[in-house]
Amino acid sequence: MIKHCSLALLALSFVAVAADARPPLPAVRTISGRVTNSLSGDPVVGATVTVVGTPTTAVTSDKGEFSLSAPDGAITLLFRSVGYKRRTVPVAADQNRVDATLEPDVFNLEAVVITGQATGVEKRFAPNAVATVGAGDLSRVPAPSVESAIQGKVPGAAIQQNSGAPGGGIQVKLRGVSTLNGLSSPLYVVDGVIMSDVAIPNNQQVVTQSNTGSNPSPLQQNQVNRIADLNPYDIENVEVLKGASAAAIYGSKAANGVVVITTKRGQLGEPRFGVTQRLGFSELAHKLGARVFPDSAAAVTNLGDSALVGQICRGGCPFFDHEQELADRKDLNYESSVDVGGGSENTRYYVSGLTSKTAGIIQNTGYWKQSVRANLDQRLSRRLAVSLSTNFVHTLARRGLTNNDNALVSYYMSLPFTPSFIDIRPVNGIYPNNPKAGTNPLQTAALVNPNDEDVDRFVGSAKATFDIVRNDVHHLQFIGVGGIDRFTQQNTLLFPPVLQFEQTSSAPGVSLLTNGDNHNANWNANLVYAYRPQSGSLVATTSAGLQYEDRQLGISNIVSQNLIAGQANVNAGTNVSVGEHREVTKDYGFYGQEEFLTLGERLFLSAGFRADRSSNNGDVKHYFIYPKTAGSYRLPAGVGPLGDFKLRVAWGQSGNQPLYGMKFPESDATQNVLGLPGTVVPSVVGNPNVKPERQSEIEGGVDATLRSGRATFELTLYQKKVSDLLLLRGLYTSSGFKSQVFNGGELRDRGIEATIGWVPIQRPELTWLLRSTFFSNSSKITQLPVPPFTDGSFGSQTGNFFIEQGQSATEIIGQVPTGPKTFVTQRVGDANPDFLWSYATDLTYRRWNLAAVAEWQHGGNIINLTTFIYDLGGTTPDCPTACLARRAGGTPSYIESATYFKLREITLSYTLPTAFVTWTGARDGRVSVSGRNLIVVTGRNYTGMDPEVSNFGIQPVARNIEVAQYPRSRTFWFTVSVGF
Amino acid sequence: MTPRSHSVCTALALALLAAGCADLNIPDFNNPSIGDLQNNPTRAGVVTATQGLFVGARVNIATFNGYISELGVFGRESYNFNSGDTRFINELLQPGPLDGSGPRFGGNLWAERYANIRNAGIVLNALAKLGTTPPVGMTSTEQAATRGFVKTMEALDFLLVIDTRDSLGAPVDVNHDITSGPAPFVKRDSVYAFIVGLLDSAVADLAVGGSSFPFGLPPGFSGFTTPTTFTKFNRALKARVEAYRATLLACRAPCWTRAKSALDSSFSSVGADTMFKDAVDSLGTAAMLARGAYYDFGTGSGDVTNGLNDPTGVSQVGHPSLRTQADTQATGQRDRRFLNKVRTATLSPVLGHTSDMVFNIYRSNAASVPIIRNEELILLRAETEFGLGNQAGAAALINYIRVNSGRLVLRAGLNVAPADTVISQLLQQRVYSLLFEGGHRWIDARRYGRLLTLPAGVAGDQIYGAMPVPIDECTARGLANNCRP
Repeated sequence: MIKHCSLALLALSFVAVAADARPPLPAVRTISGRVTNSLSGDPVVGATVTVVGTPTTAVTSDKGEFSLSAPDGAITLLFRSVGYKRRTVPVAADQNRVDATLEPDVFNLEAVVITGQATGVEKRFAPNAVATVGAGDLSRVPAPSVESAIQGKVPGAAIQQNSGAPGGGIQVKLRGVSTLNGLSSPLYVVDGVIMSDVAIPNNQQVVTQSNTGSNPSPLQQNQVNRIADLNPYDIENVEVLKGASAAAIYGSKAANGVVVITTKRGQLGEPRFGVTQRLGFSELAHKLGARVFPDSAAAVTNLGDSALVGQICRGGCPFFDHEQELADRKDLNYESSVDVGGGSENTRYYVSGLTSKTAGIIQNTGYWKQSVRANLDQRLSRRLAVSLSTNFVHTLARRGLTNNDNALVSYYMSLPFTPSFIDIRPVNGIYPNNPKAGTNPLQTAALVNPNDEDVDRFVGSAKATFDIVRNDVHHLQFIGVGGIDRFTQQNTLLFPPVLQFEQTSSAPGVSLLTNGDNHNANWNANLVYAYRPQSGSLVATTSAGLQYEDRQLGISNIVSQNLIAGQANVNAGTNVSVGEHREVTKDYGFYGQEEFLTLGERLFLSAGFRADRSSNNGDVKHYFIYPKTAGSYRLPAGVGPLGDFKLRVAWGQSGNQPLYGMKFPESDATQNVLGLPGTVVPSVVGNPNVKPERQSEIEGGVDATLRSGRATFELTLYQKKVSDLLLLRGLYTSSGFKSQVFNGGELRDRGIEATIGWVPIQRPELTWLLRSTFFSNSSKITQLPVPPFTDGSFGSQTGNFFIEQGQSATEIIGQVPTGPKTFVTQRVGDANPDFLWSYATDLTYRRWNLAAVAEWQHGGNIINLTTFIYDLGGTTPDCPTACLARRAGGTPSYIESATYFKLREITLSYTLPTAFVTWTGARDGRVSVSGRNLIVVTGRNYTGMDPEVSNFGIQPVARNIEVAQYPRSRTFWFTVSVGF
Repeated sequence: MTPRSHSVCTALALALLAAGCADLNIPDFNNPSIGDLQNNPTRAGVVTATQGLFVGARVNIATFNGYISELGVFGRESYNFNSGDTRFINELLQPGPLDGSGPRFGGNLWAERYANIRNAGIVLNALAKLGTTPPVGMTSTEQAATRGFVKTMEALDFLLVIDTRDSLGAPVDVNHDITSGPAPFVKRDSVYAFIVGLLDSAVADLAVGGSSFPFGLPPGFSGFTTPTTFTKFNRALKARVEAYRATLLACRAPCWTRAKSALDSSFSSVGADTMFKDAVDSLGTAAMLARGAYYDFGTGSGDVTNGLNDPTGVSQVGHPSLRTQADTQATGQRDRRFLNKVRTATLSPVLGHTSDMVFNIYRSNAASVPIIRNEELILLRAETEFGLGNQAGAAALINYIRVNSGRLVLRAGLNVAPADTVISQLLQQRVYSLLFEGGHRWIDARRYGRLLTLPAGVAGDQIYGAMPVPIDECTARGLANNCRP
């Protein structure tokens, strides 16, 4: 222990730099001027103007004008504004008027990207391909959550929704498969707070019995991962560190990448008040359709009850479009948001509020969010500044009953067993019984109420920055950040006894109550020392710091059955059962990093390490070390037409902690027989020696910009290897255990990312920006010390993910018929797409702007069990002939192409004329119409609902399984926003 | 450096040091440790782990795809019409082979039994280290009683394993650490011998186990709550095992003799004067036939419900042969057992398989499921008598069940009928007496070599004789799926 502690002291040893700041120069003259956009001539509002070498700063007004006090003599002014390239202007001793033009920085080359816990570097020097998405790109079209707002905007990221349900449930997978059994979500850091992305299930499997079939996972209920709570409009900037080479400083939590989110803060100057009101609606985007029964003979074959069919099909069978009845609501969506920000030299504030509703297309579904944020920056002294960020959010998600189910309760599980000639619509509020499935999906949608997921969440952080030493040469800073993320989630579901499937139950009526309680607290402390010798030959930044995190998650649930008088309270049931699960994790780590920028800002080198220990590891005292190193070189004078040409390479390691409980060989102490308690062995036995997975990643690439600044190009190649995988060693079950966690094996991802940005037209009245990203990844299990095993899904008859040495990690196997009754189990597909290719366009003509983002996923496979179930029910539109042929074809019939093209966002906006806006007293105004997922094209006539799907929610491997999910919708919005 | 920044740094360094030395040990908040139970056992830990054998014994017995359900499908007692999964038909009934890689189908009915065998092993390991002084330890009498109980339950689980795998055999020497690798498969007769060894050794322990158990027993074992009475349950199991050995392994007379002796020490009883009573109407006779040991189910928190309670017939439906093969009463009605155990229902066909009846046996989701009961023991006694050459005695007992349980007329001349007729009649009574209680129809047909006489039901369907070895056992031994280790 002494040794470990002495390391902490070592990190402080360079505090010995002793010097003090020099006093500011006396101010003796006033300089004023105006800053305008070099293209349009419009004033640049809120630009900062700094006298280089002094703290003197001014901010431009609404008219772009500024005025500041400057020292005597010749000086240099630095003009900066977000979205523009910086500019320095020398000012002669006798010059008191400076008008400057700023050039738009359309490719964000001057944005600062993070390189560590407390350090950053301008993107043009960065050795890693760090993707940045700014506020403008995040808020154009309303998105259910931040992940969907960055869909199609981050090369190297596969961002996919798990279903079409309102309110999130989206997986962000960076650079392919990073783990097989570990946590598979990236680490989300919001203003320095590690924000939980846990998904707490609502226990609906008690009724749907989704876990009683071939796959015991309870996570088949379309659960929401909680990063969805963040208000996308509060976000200034999202930075995505995609792999270990960029994220090594986050150590054993960074294997799935790190998404660093910075929220908006007040700007110097007059308060700026904005109001945005949006109205819209969603509609069913794709109907599966249903079989039309031509005559009573076909109907009898399907239903079996010839007497009933005889009554219904007189002369011919009627056709009722159940799917249309179920999923074609177009209720009103709204979003009202306000924000105000401003501040003085020492105090800046930003306050925002949002209330929104996204209506579902199925009755009793939808998503509501109310959020307030207050961010405050206060300079307390010349040395000390603090920043506070607080966010309170309430969300309510009603996501209905979807996904796999063995009781035919969820909507699209019962539809296939509701032939179209049966009328299930209510008569005077009474829903007729469905003679085939035993459930009436319209009744289920109408009466399963509430099905609420209520979340109250507070996320707050405080950051203190203390300049221990600050002068032109030395800058030693202490940065301390602490924050908490606390939320409670309550799920309530009521299945009243009147439901058809409850009437036949032995304990009719089910009420479910689940309470989740999550608490994350973390703090970090950093010392950052920047050294800029007078010669200007280099900038050296040394940083070191510590991080501590405490995560606590508790989930308790109550299942109450046989409800007295259909009451929702759980004490109204006669059969009550309860459950509780707790997880507590504590992590501690420290890091050190050195960065050099030298050779006239051409060569950037960095090296660092992180050491981590965690309560989730078998040995809680052992530090796991994650090193990294990186470099970039900008060629002098560029290459040919390229003004800037950078070569970069980076290598680093990161880890993926064991999950809580993996290290405990424990008995299951939750069961009893009629009150007689007993302990039994669990199916998975823990391993007391478990340790984190280790990822090593190397990436290299080139970044180039045309001399004219009108086009950029970035190309990155990477390879990552993940070793010491957290594997479940499938045990021979005669041991009494099904599996044991252990570390072993290795997988590899290789991929390519490319981004191209081009401004074909840049004229004062017309600008056109095009941007495209390309991403392709392939994974391979290079070493597997256990026999190949299946991962997820429902057995090889219906297609299984299969982890096998030498094969892709997302390989799918299934049963391929070799004769009328025989089959062979072999590879039938791979979920990994060939590539993801996205396109964005932004066309501005005078006051009009048209922006769109589209994403094309090519290749990869889906296990389409929705069609499989429709075929079983004999109600697919092409039954009986084609569906019987599919059935005979075995698994390959249901392995379909995952190719899709989706127009993610499109917006047409009009900036209101200044005269009109001024007449109303506002500063600016804009109206727009927009849409999300308006156009979707699927490959080879995909027969399911949507190839962007995951029945099991967020999964390291076993995504791409479609089972009766919430249908996808398209959403239209009309927006008015006004700034004051 | 200024004095102020010195103090800032010192405070900082101290705070960081404190964090760096933080103890990150976090206990398991959800469950107790297995290692503690085996290495530092306490009386309380051993008691709950022993009671855990009741929890483990019923796992996957009465689930919709459990032991009774799947063996019912194999033996044509039932179909499973679960619409979400047709493998109950296209894997379990149609030409195969059965797939040992499907943990819920071909590879089913294995892991849960061995999990409970592990539970038993853990208790036996703990007992070996447990002190003999209460309140932390158990007296040696208490330990003997516990050991006898544990071995009996372990034998029951092994019996259910070999019932499903039959000629493929099974591993028996399994109470070792998982690092030591899989135990070898032994042949079917060795598995039976191992089971008998466990049962007999358990009886020896129970004999010195004093007058009470140091742990609790659930209501399903209400007749067997002391070491002495529990021995009667042990002997009933032994009688079943010996009868299986007599027929399946062709051991004949020695096994029949042991079966008879076990029956004599079991809770079997036939009141001589109760002949010709109507068991359905006579509560006394019905209770007598039902007496035995049961798996319990409940709706309480942490309890498990009986998944075979299926009032809508979504899953468990009766095989059509149950109606067509049922004998008729003097009134012309069908066998009273048939009338009571199934009821008609309108059901949609699944993959060409039709049925119009659902089971009426488990009438609530807390209904208990027989492990072994007197009606089976009477039929085992009939079988044993026949095996030992006492055909008249066998005929009387078969007729006793026909009349008292089925309300059928006496089958005259059974005492002099050809052996094949007696066996057919015996098996027919076992079908209806033990219907949907644990795959008896399949097991019986197999041990009498009569699998092919089972009603196939639908043309092209196949009758399987054993479930395959689960794939995990094959891969652990470096063998391919559906191996025969």
